[in-house]
Amino acid sequence: MSQPKIAVDLILKTLTESTEQVKTRAQKASEVLLGPLETDLAVTPYEVVYEEDRVKLKHYMPEKVTHKIPLLVVYALINRETVLDLQPGRSVVRTFLDKGIEVYMVDWGYPTRKDRYITIDDHVNGYMDNIVDVIRERHGLAQINLMGICMGGAFSVMYSALHPEKIKNLVTTVTPTHFDIDTGLLNIWMRQTRALEIGDVYGNMPSDVMNLGFLLLNPARLILDKYVGFLENMDKRDFVENFVRMEKWIFDSPDVPAATFRQFIEDCYQKNLLIQSRMELGGHRVDLKRITMPLLNIYGKFDHLVPPEACERLTRAVGSEDTEDICLNTGHIGIYVSGKYQAEFAPKIAAWLKAREDHGEKTVGRESTDASAAEKGKAASAGQKASITAELRRPSRQKNREKTVSGKGKTPGKEKATASDVTSAPTGRRRPKRP
Amino acid sequence: MDGHSKDSTGTEPLVGEWMKQFMAFWESIARTGAEAFVPNGMPGKTQQEKIRKHWETGGKMFQAMAAFLNKPETIEGILKGLDTAPDLLSELVRQSWEGYFDLQRQWLERAVKMGSETQAYSFEDIDQDTFKFIREMYEKEFRKFVQIPQLGLTRIHQEKFNQMIDRHNLFQTALGEFIYIFYVPIEKTTAVMQEKLESMAETGEIHDEFKAYYNMWIKILEGHYMTLLKSPEYTQVMDNTIEALVKYKTAREDFLCDMLQNFPIPTYRDMDALYKDFYVLKKKIREISRKLDSHLSEEPISESK
Repeated sequence: MSQPKIAVDLILKTLTESTEQVKTRAQKASEVLLGPLETDLAVTPYEVVYEEDRVKLKHYMPEKVTHKIPLLVVYALINRETVLDLQPGRSVVRTFLDKGIEVYMVDWGYPTRKDRYITIDDHVNGYMDNIVDVIRERHGLAQINLMGICMGGAFSVMYSALHPEKIKNLVTTVTPTHFDIDTGLLNIWMRQTRALEIGDVYGNMPSDVMNLGFLLLNPARLILDKYVGFLENMDKRDFVENFVRMEKWIFDSPDVPAATFRQFIEDCYQKNLLIQSRMELGGHRVDLKRITMPLLNIYGKFDHLVPPEACERLTRAVGSEDTEDICLNTGHIGIYVSGKYQAEFAPKIAAWLKAREDHGEKTVGRESTDASAAEKGKAASAGQKASITAELRRPSRQKNREKTVSGKGKTPGKEKATASDVTSAPTGRRRPKRP
Repeated sequence: MDGHSKDSTGTEPLVGEWMKQFMAFWESIARTGAEAFVPNGMPGKTQQEKIRKHWETGGKMFQAMAAFLNKPETIEGILKGLDTAPDLLSELVRQSWEGYFDLQRQWLERAVKMGSETQAYSFEDIDQDTFKFIREMYEKEFRKFVQIPQLGLTRIHQEKFNQMIDRHNLFQTALGEFIYIFYVPIEKTTAVMQEKLESMAETGEIHDEFKAYYNMWIKILEGHYMTLLKSPEYTQVMDNTIEALVKYKTAREDFLCDMLQNFPIPTYRDMDALYKDFYVLKKKIREISRKLDSHLSEEPISESK
């Protein structure tokens, strides 16, 4: 083997300088790590207004309510909803509250072995339906706004298809609905391995196994480079605090109930039933055409967990005529944790919801001839004789289509969907607005 | 070696003498024990008589056994049987050594290959033969020992134990292969980096900072992992590992549940059955409650109509 031609003395000189830097950094780092660090998550105050089994409903009250309709946020079963309230200054929940939206958020809790038989039907038509009814009752509303994230978005889509009369507007973020793709590693692995058997044999799908799986999606960056970055910056308090917060969140994973995990893998990843409107929950078919309320669908262009191809078909599959896709130049988590996208994403949702607040308004009265039996049952269970009306009015046709904007970062962040790193895709059904 | 046939070990006279002395010793003990219980008029005479008779019977049985064992043909038979044990053990050791030497040969071949060029971003040449060989060797040579049919009252428990051992070994092999496959990109990245450094040195593009080299290295490594993780080779290994894990976990749980039945500790299976009952009952109750509420709420409305 020939001798390497790199100057050895240069390397040694660089090594010496680096050693000095490392020593200085280590001294500062020890002061930071041994000193007080603010690493708490989810510091925005809330109240638990409903509990059922392991599930809790958190209620966040804004200082001033400017939106008539509250927003229910449904996070995924994987990881925790605390990512939406990571820290002051990077909190989706706080942004919504600042915009005057009353926020409810589902806390799925930590499933134990006793929850292993709980299915997707139990989550959607059980817990979610009860929660929606609680909120409707608290506010005396026929419909509420629903926002789902990732797997929670898939649940929200299923719920909206099964109970469209209860949902005013639907927002889905990084939500997989089309699973038969080859661009995502998760999609390939779930289809070609028997990963779903792990849940059965462990009782529930263990969070540690899932976390390991997510780390293996990009081991070079997530196992090596990330911590190299930490070592390089561990003398900076802000960096360390943010890093530790993210670490706390990423590895704070509940198990996923085995029956839910199995069904999600089989029906979604392997058979791709959801986007085909062939999925069944509790014997009822999830027909996406029944989603007739306005739909805002946001996803990340560089999302390696839920690629854009998994998200973008939803708006074409639903029955709603008021749909909008927004593709942000970021990844799966970047939408929630990046300060830059926080400034665009959450205000955009707030504005979108506000614009549709009075659209297709439903009257809430004490008597109705069209109330469904289920709704009457819910009201009765609360001790009321009155029922919430289910009188439906066909939503007005809103030909709402944003122009496609290239994500080249030309304009500073704005609230409109035409902001710099945002691409709003036409959904193929409506004619563009004439200027 | 000394001209004796294979069947004759030449130790029969020694063993015979030893057996004679052994039997004589225990006969005398039995006789002494029986005499110690001769009735002497003390209370408990009947009991003592019974014990003396037991000792006598035991002594006679022992004498009969000693007479049988002292026969030359019996001694020969026993010794022949003991001869087979070393043969069995030596066969086991021979197979292990042969397998080990084969493995060593493969490792040496791999070591020789290490100096040659490796194709970057390609994972068709992953050396999975080693693990395939280990698995095949285990399945062909060693597995049969844990699959020997068990006999007797406790055969089911023994079988479960052996099954757990068998599955554990297979899981370890699969896991080893899975861990190895994550090492392959590191190996390839090192080779690619070496080539890059050489070409950079030739063109004079030398960076002052290590960070630049590190960034280069991590980028190449990331690229290799991205290629690997999408490859059918990786998916197959992952699937094998998951399959082996599931089978091992099931076998282990079978064995543990079996053992725990002897203790007042509920097993996972017991609890799962209970949880299932709870789940079904809760669902039924909710359904009934919903129907009842719906029924109750309908009544006032139908009255108002």
